[in-house]
Amino acid sequence: MINKGQINSEELKIQGLLDRYVRFRSANNKFNDNHLDDDTLTAFVEGKLDVRESPAIIKHLVDCSFCLHVTGELAKMNTVFAEDEVMSSASETQPTKVSEVLSGLLSRIFGINDGAVFAHEEKEDNKTEEKVKTDK
Amino acid sequence: MLVELRNIVYNTPVIMTPEIIQHEYLLDECDGVIEEIFAKCGENAPNFGVGLEWFKESLHRTARKYLFANSPQTLTANEVKSFFGELQTDNLFLALACSSGNERAWWEFDHQHRAYLERIARHLASSETNAQDVVDTVYVELYGTRMVDGARVSKFSTYSGRGSLRGWLRTVVWHSLVDLHRTSHDEVSLDEMTENVGEGYTQASFAEPSLDGEVEMIDQLTRERYRRTTLTAIEKAFSDLDNHEKLLLLYYHVENLKLREIAKLVEIPTSPLRDWFQRKSAQRESNPEAKIHESTVMRWLEKTYGKVLKSFRTELLSNNGLKEAELDICLEIATQDLASPNLYRNLMTTQP
Repeated sequence: MINKGQINSEELKIQGLLDRYVRFRSANNKFNDNHLDDDTLTAFVEGKLDVRESPAIIKHLVDCSFCLHVTGELAKMNTVFAEDEVMSSASETQPTKVSEVLSGLLSRIFGINDGAVFAHEEKEDNKTEEKVKTDK
Repeated sequence: MLVELRNIVYNTPVIMTPEIIQHEYLLDECDGVIEEIFAKCGENAPNFGVGLEWFKESLHRTARKYLFANSPQTLTANEVKSFFGELQTDNLFLALACSSGNERAWWEFDHQHRAYLERIARHLASSETNAQDVVDTVYVELYGTRMVDGARVSKFSTYSGRGSLRGWLRTVVWHSLVDLHRTSHDEVSLDEMTENVGEGYTQASFAEPSLDGEVEMIDQLTRERYRRTTLTAIEKAFSDLDNHEKLLLLYYHVENLKLREIAKLVEIPTSPLRDWFQRKSAQRESNPEAKIHESTVMRWLEKTYGKVLKSFRTELLSNNGLKEAELDICLEIATQDLASPNLYRNLMTTQP
């Protein structure tokens, strides 16, 4: 018969051993290329996956250190940004016209000139209109 | 009919299994519900230019990805309707419109989410410059610069509405930051991106822990045998756990999540993780909406430790025929070796 003192001591030792083991195991997990996509990672972290959908995801997380790490980081952000979810989403500053936003970004990053962006957008707008018409 | 149409649209062969046919019928039965959802979204955002068929196809895609891929044939139309009802359809509507480059939708997106994106980027990035780079990159990715078959591929088209748009944006920002970091540090591997994991385990030297006291009397070979037996036992004990228990341990010990962060992760009443841990809980039955406190997570952890200890003891005592005193020696050796990170490394290098 083991007394309570021994059990506590054993529990502490097993926790330490387990801590070392799981860290070692994760550090030596080989990454594969089949990582979970952003959409699935988000749904999991937000608890949106049900009992049918979750087992395969949880199994993947147990075996894939990379995706485990991503969900760990997202879970930390969940807490940090929790208040943002209930805050008013409106920003204080008015956004600029989106074409300006996009053309500014693209020209800065890729050196594309504004005209090219606007032309591209106009084409997309036409496409969208066509799509709506088709749907109707 | 629908499957044939999809083959033409996506140019992908779909094998008509009875399961797929049943799923297509179920989707057809949900037309009315989808039209209702579409009408509501349209009321909220009349100028987004999203057509019904396009919206419907997007919802079908989400159902196939999450619901049908994990469900047996016994799904009912009501379950599929309920699934559609749970989706963040206004967010999806916005994402679809943005993916097509709708100006009004982009204005709305920028208005609602830019400040949030910037806050996340600043929180994650090491400098203001990096944060701005990430926001720029994310915007470009969201708009899409890659062309496939003459069509622009927007990152928005991968959002399914299963999670929130803001949650999805957080994930996109996180990945962009990782990509940015890797681009600026060519030599950094994915392993190193998880730098907090396994820190200190990749040392090249495998110094033996020093022996002292009573343990000195144990022959080196015997000690090695105990070590291996200990490793096998802890491996077995861990692998015998259910996956949700393993995940809990990994979040706590490897990812260093705080108890409240784990609690937050499972706070949604329908969370399957919570469901598994509380399956037999009387409190859950009486109040399924009850908040998960840190102490609850601690109890789950303690329960899991207890399970590991029990399995560890069984492996050593029953399966390996060790005596109680030897179990103490195994734990003692392991505990001493914990002062050094080399316990497992030593074992790995000495195993045949």
